[in-house]
Amino acid sequence: MNISKIANLKFFYINTKKISFFLSIVTLFLFSFGIYWGLFVAPADYLQGESYRIMYVHVPAAWLSLQVYIIMAIAGFIALIWKVKIMEIVSIQCASIGAYFTLIALVTGMIWGKPTWGTYWVWDARLTSELILLFLYIGILVLYSAFNDKRQAVKITSLLAIIGLINIPIIHYSVEWWNTLHQGPTVTKFERPSVHITMLIPLLYMLFVFNIYFLTVLIKRIRFGIFQREKNSKWMEDYLND
Amino acid sequence: MHKELQVYFRNLNNIFLPLIFFFLIISIFPLVLGPDKLLLNKIIPGVIWITAILTTLLSSNNFFRDDFNNGIIETYLTSEKSIELVLFLKIVSCWIFTCLPIIVFIPLVSILFEIPFKNSITILFTLLIGTPILISIGIFGSALTLGLSKNNILTPIIIIPFYIPVLIFSASAIESVSSGLPYDLQIYVLLAILIFVVPIMPYLLKYTLELSVNN
Repeated sequence: MNISKIANLKFFYINTKKISFFLSIVTLFLFSFGIYWGLFVAPADYLQGESYRIMYVHVPAAWLSLQVYIIMAIAGFIALIWKVKIMEIVSIQCASIGAYFTLIALVTGMIWGKPTWGTYWVWDARLTSELILLFLYIGILVLYSAFNDKRQAVKITSLLAIIGLINIPIIHYSVEWWNTLHQGPTVTKFERPSVHITMLIPLLYMLFVFNIYFLTVLIKRIRFGIFQREKNSKWMEDYLND
Repeated sequence: MHKELQVYFRNLNNIFLPLIFFFLIISIFPLVLGPDKLLLNKIIPGVIWITAILTTLLSSNNFFRDDFNNGIIETYLTSEKSIELVLFLKIVSCWIFTCLPIIVFIPLVSILFEIPFKNSITILFTLLIGTPILISIGIFGSALTLGLSKNNILTPIIIIPFYIPVLIFSASAIESVSSGLPYDLQIYVLLAILIFVVPIMPYLLKYTLELSVNN
């Protein structure tokens, strides 16, 4: 089986139906196991008590928010250079998934921040750059929805995503630099003690689960994207009538 | 270049409008915050920068709109002449007519708000290096949204995140100098961004325009 065949919209749509269903079940199973592990099995933190357990959602979500951006930009790059249709769909669907992950990371971070730092929000380097990341995602989504011609829209948003990818490290370092300039001592105060192995393993596991979850949602969303684009085509009609 | 400048000269309003806008926004701040000199002195560098950003946003928002409607952009793209040079000169002339007047009038603002001479020199420097970057990013944003019929608030939403590094380094340069610290590092970083952004911008713009026009 070669790449060009998988990249074919029709082939992908027809053949991923079962995979998508199977992945959903697996994700549900893995996720509930991970939640159980994180909430009940892993030991409580000696400093933060039970409240640290939100880490098992917060850290993977924050990680994924960046990872999805990179995937989105790479998919956009492939879509622009080699005109691979399915990558256009991947790129734009990644934008909304990534925006959700960023939102989850921010909200869980705020919930976590209240008992540990005593405040929901500090203008800390990481928080600020995560917020800017959310704005970048929102910019892409808003730009996409403004176009009537979705094929052109996805070209433009892919370009924006690629430029944004170059910009992310610059933004990150400048924000970090700005932060250390403004409130130097607080950064060390917020620094977390290194994670113990009994907490690290469930965390890595949750990271893995989040990746599987991302894959599941992505496949479902690609299928939806293909359906939206090809709903008037003949093969889709034939397929749905079967 | 000559033609572009001529177009700007023909309606001189174009020079004065950004300038008037700049002064209006600047003078709104004391009205809102009260005439407290200490407070104003502390925040005025930030105010000048925010105002400069608003001005560049508004002036670069519909940068390609007229040319696009006239079909000039398509003519450029299909012609064999190098469009990159034209785009570069367009950026330069846009900067000359929107940002340069503001920079020229910074001394007057400094007098109005009693900014120390050293600080106002720094503000001048950061604006001189920073605004070309802002203008070129803004023009890139307007090229991205060219395919849309209306894009009044969309372009700022897209490009403001890209403004952040410039903003951070300029603000911290001004802050450094007002607390008596050296600020050459920030200026160097700004220069580095300028040298990186401006030369590649015409090529990027050309590519974006091609994407926006060929639909």
